[in-house]
Amino acid sequence: MILEGSVRLPFRYAAGTTASTFLEALRDEGRLLGSRCPACGTVLCPPRLDCRCGERATELVEVGPAGTLVSWTELPGRGAYGLVRPDGADTAFVHRLLDAPESLRGGMRVHARFAEERSGGIADLAGFEVAS
Amino acid sequence: MSVAVAGVGESGPALDDPRSIPEIVLEAVEEALQEARLGFDSVDAVVTASVDLLDGLTASNIAVTEVVGAVLKPETRIAADGLVAAIHGSCLVRAGAYETVLVVAHGKASLGPYWELTSWALDPIFLQPLGLDFLACAGLQARALAEDDAAAEQRWARIAAERRRAAAAHGVAPACTAEDVLASPAVASPLRRESCAPLADGATAIVLRAAGPAEPGVHLGGVGFDLSPHALGERELTEWDGLRRAWARALAVHGTRPTLDVAEPSCVFAYEEDLFRHALELDPGTEVSPGGGLFAGFVPVAAGLSRLAAVVRALRGPGGLRAGVAHGTWGPAGQGQAVAILEAA
Repeated sequence: MILEGSVRLPFRYAAGTTASTFLEALRDEGRLLGSRCPACGTVLCPPRLDCRCGERATELVEVGPAGTLVSWTELPGRGAYGLVRPDGADTAFVHRLLDAPESLRGGMRVHARFAEERSGGIADLAGFEVAS
Repeated sequence: MSVAVAGVGESGPALDDPRSIPEIVLEAVEEALQEARLGFDSVDAVVTASVDLLDGLTASNIAVTEVVGAVLKPETRIAADGLVAAIHGSCLVRAGAYETVLVVAHGKASLGPYWELTSWALDPIFLQPLGLDFLACAGLQARALAEDDAAAEQRWARIAAERRRAAAAHGVAPACTAEDVLASPAVASPLRRESCAPLADGATAIVLRAAGPAEPGVHLGGVGFDLSPHALGERELTEWDGLRRAWARALAVHGTRPTLDVAEPSCVFAYEEDLFRHALELDPGTEVSPGGGLFAGFVPVAAGLSRLAAVVRALRGPGGLRAGVAHGTWGPAGQGQAVAILEAA
């Protein structure tokens, strides 16, 4: 016998002070921020307080909005995702790709497109598109 | 002191096993104990591996406490691949804390939408809202490899077909050709449906015992594990450097580099075999996944422990094989890596 069940529970995820600053800049100014480590110089995007070198990456710097496509994938019915390293950052992050997958290639230059209506959250960045 | 694998037991892999998780687990545990010629009363401690998210309840080890004989005993639960549970169990024996440790891992993919569930294991601020899951992460890793390697997709199709052929007799999916793989629909490009191991239900149990180094049987040698950064963008995506570190630790514990007759990697996707071979600098003479590996059926969480069981069976077999390696992985695109050397004494 199989008994059906489902779980749907509301949560309130605290983004944290560093990510909140990133999300506020994204929502209010349409800018991408990274966190720079004063000890090793690494710029993390999205910004995080904890640098892998052990120091705190406390300095926020603007990165992008242009960047380089590191890798990409397309899922049927779900669109394409890309791993993008924004200019000025040392790390890449995953987001949506807005172009047809046939035109995509690793190493391509891409550009951030910000959502027209922004309400707080990573979706305020609509995704990346191939730079024209 | 050495750690011997005194018994192995397995249930599955099976497609949509109608039994409950405790029933599936019990079958594997009974088989392992029978092989070891031991009863529950001889087991000093139990290490289980399970993941709450995949079982649809919290404290998923509580659901199997009775069937693994852990009532009134020291039990530890590992929420990662089952091979990590075996490594933990071996540490308990090696430390002299317990003489006999039962290690059990289970997974029941038919219980829910597996790939969708993996989304819940990703960062809730930056990744979950995008609908990303482990399948998409694997697609990103495979693409990073294929981008500069025009022959990659053909090679992965041949690997998948070879594994599926080897697994057809005892696995959950029929044999298929490399052409079938390439003609199957993309699930996360460049990954295709048939280049992914089929999901399944099952459980694996092993009995670890303190033994003299020369005692006949299969012994667990050097072990190692490693965790890479969670974010794909903070890793070198075109290699499993975490596995390289885990392997270096295993070799350091082992003391020597053994000649590996057989390797049982936990490759859910054919491309991962490239990463595995590269990380271990595998000798061409090492036979990889002679029974088809996870292409016989990928049981989440139990996968790595099932690979250990496969190596044990190979070393006990008539082929006179002396040493092998078992591998387990968990998290997005191989974030967690574990490896164990096994030797016939």
